[in-house]
Amino acid sequence: MDPAEAEFLAEQELVTIIPNFSLDRIYLIGGDLGPFNPGLPVQVPLWLAMNLKQRQKCRIIPLEWMDVEKLEQIRDQERKEDTFTPMPSPYYMELTKLLLNYASENIPKADEIRTLVKETWDTRIAKLRLSADSFVRQQEAHARLDNLTLMEINTAGTFLTQALDHMYKLRTNLHSGESAQSQDF
Amino acid sequence: MFYLFYFIKNFYPTPPRVLLLVASDVDALCACKILQALFQCDHVQYTLVPVSGWQELETAFLEHKDQVKLLVKQDDDLEIPAYDDLFRDEEEDEEDSGNESEGTEPSEKRRRLEEDVVERTLKRRQKREWEARRYSAMVMFDLAWIMSKDLNDMLWWAIVGLTDQWVQDRITQMKYVTDIGTLQRHVSRHNHRNEDDENSLSIDCMRIAFEYDLRLALYQHWSLYESLCNTCYTSASLKLWSVQGQKRLQELLADMGLPLKQVKQKFHSMDISLKENLQEMIEESANKFGMKDLRVQTFSIHFGFKNKFLASDVVYATVSLMENIEKDESETDNFIRALDSLSRSNLDKLRQGLELAKKQLRAIQQTVASCICTNLVISQGPFLYCYLMEGTPDVKLFSKPVSLCLLSKYLLKSFVCSTKNKRCKLLPLIMAAPMNVEQATVIMVGIPPETESSDKKNFFGRAFEKAAESTNSRTLHNHFDMSIIELKMEDRSKFLDALTSLLS
Repeated sequence: MDPAEAEFLAEQELVTIIPNFSLDRIYLIGGDLGPFNPGLPVQVPLWLAMNLKQRQKCRIIPLEWMDVEKLEQIRDQERKEDTFTPMPSPYYMELTKLLLNYASENIPKADEIRTLVKETWDTRIAKLRLSADSFVRQQEAHARLDNLTLMEINTAGTFLTQALDHMYKLRTNLHSGESAQSQDF
Repeated sequence: MFYLFYFIKNFYPTPPRVLLLVASDVDALCACKILQALFQCDHVQYTLVPVSGWQELETAFLEHKDQVKLLVKQDDDLEIPAYDDLFRDEEEDEEDSGNESEGTEPSEKRRRLEEDVVERTLKRRQKREWEARRYSAMVMFDLAWIMSKDLNDMLWWAIVGLTDQWVQDRITQMKYVTDIGTLQRHVSRHNHRNEDDENSLSIDCMRIAFEYDLRLALYQHWSLYESLCNTCYTSASLKLWSVQGQKRLQELLADMGLPLKQVKQKFHSMDISLKENLQEMIEESANKFGMKDLRVQTFSIHFGFKNKFLASDVVYATVSLMENIEKDESETDNFIRALDSLSRSNLDKLRQGLELAKKQLRAIQQTVASCICTNLVISQGPFLYCYLMEGTPDVKLFSKPVSLCLLSKYLLKSFVCSTKNKRCKLLPLIMAAPMNVEQATVIMVGIPPETESSDKKNFFGRAFEKAAESTNSRTLHNHFDMSIIELKMEDRSKFLDALTSLLS
């Protein structure tokens, strides 16, 4: 999967906005939205929030986990554990990136939040690399990783599967004389 | 773009569209940016047509004639008396007289509201005397503010529009200061966040700040030395074209305690200890050398760690992008590039503009120095006259109206400082430069005299017209600013004679 596709899926997450216009309920295929009244908070999917924000039609309320203390806790927790800890949202990376790029004036301490999320991301990717490395070394047949998000899987996944394919080809060529046992991957 | 317009007209139910005709002027560009931002927020379709003169305005207007419903004035050259009747008419059958037109078909309540507001603002504006000039960027910002859709970005463009008028010497000091005050209120409204630990804003957010900064052109993007040499105010006051002038400059630097080596370095690389109280130090020393107005009230924009620009920096960069002769591109391309450079996401264009502006300023100063040293400015009686010969270095740069105007103003200021003749100090200046060598045309501008209480009125428009009529010279009064004309090289001398007799 493309990172762009993962971002597209992330844009369905709901965020709270405060519009400055009024509009009746709108009925879309994915669900109903609205009604919009100036000054009253309403929940909308992220794609709509981004569009409205860029047209200066709303103010975005920061997500409740986008807070310096919470993110510090999450980061420290992640560093302590060997396995992956659950993240506040399955799309935390995409949400952070989109919100901080387009709505950073509505989010207090945006720079620190960006740094904290990046640190958490780095820790998790490092763990992913370690576990992929040990997986390959010990020639395991399957592995289980809890609490991974889609973006992280995408980052490692394509490379890992292609590398394993190559290794398989090299191995079968090496043992080409003997009867090759097929291996599950 | 025009064909698409007609295509849409023929094959779809006519959506409300707006036609924007924009002059080649930094102020008009800023107004255009504000309008574009408003249109993009409200999904209003518009067509943008750059026009550089009355002829182009007429052509573009006639092309879109059947779509135009309402004419809106956007320039401050309110010389057309018929505007009053025109304005109230909702029909399109008038001939061109506005400098920019907006056509809308009121269909939604919201658009009707916009139109009403536009009408009201402009009717109010019109009731003022036609001398009370208001430049379009400020009008557009007021429009946005009345509709409560104003943004920090639009405020910045309004500031750049105002600064452009000041740089080109089109408004009086008093008006400039008053308008700075008005804009300062808007700036505090938009940028007042108390930035304590609880609420700090991201460094990438755009902030505007009021500055009482040096009026040295581009000094933060150049070296202090270059900026001192190439700013009209310092160059004219110190008389830098002469040897004594150079010595005075060295004395000024010594008085400020700035070592020459530091001052010739790029400003960013100067010692921090020297930069700390730079503004006060320079002001004190400059006062001793007769430069009492070295600091000026202005604004600066700040986003990210690296990007800080003064309003005048942006003005110089945009002017040089708009009149760029380097790559032989069409005027429309230059216009679009200059328009783009006003967006914060096009920093590379802005930086390119800054480099071009440095070249332009250097060329202006060198030309001014050579004109004064070789006594090219001659008194024709009622006015001063200067002609740039074909072989002059950088003469191609001055075939464009705004650059030539800048050069003329700097030349007049420097000449007034250099001459001992009291009468000559009060004369206006007419400057001519070759415009197109194949067609043997010359571009000519008239600058009002340097007086303290000048209200910046320029009567050369009428004078040029009358002189052209009386001598049957082949002239083109195409430019929106009537004091800039083109004429054939052969008709130059009889034209000047006619002017001399007209004005004496």
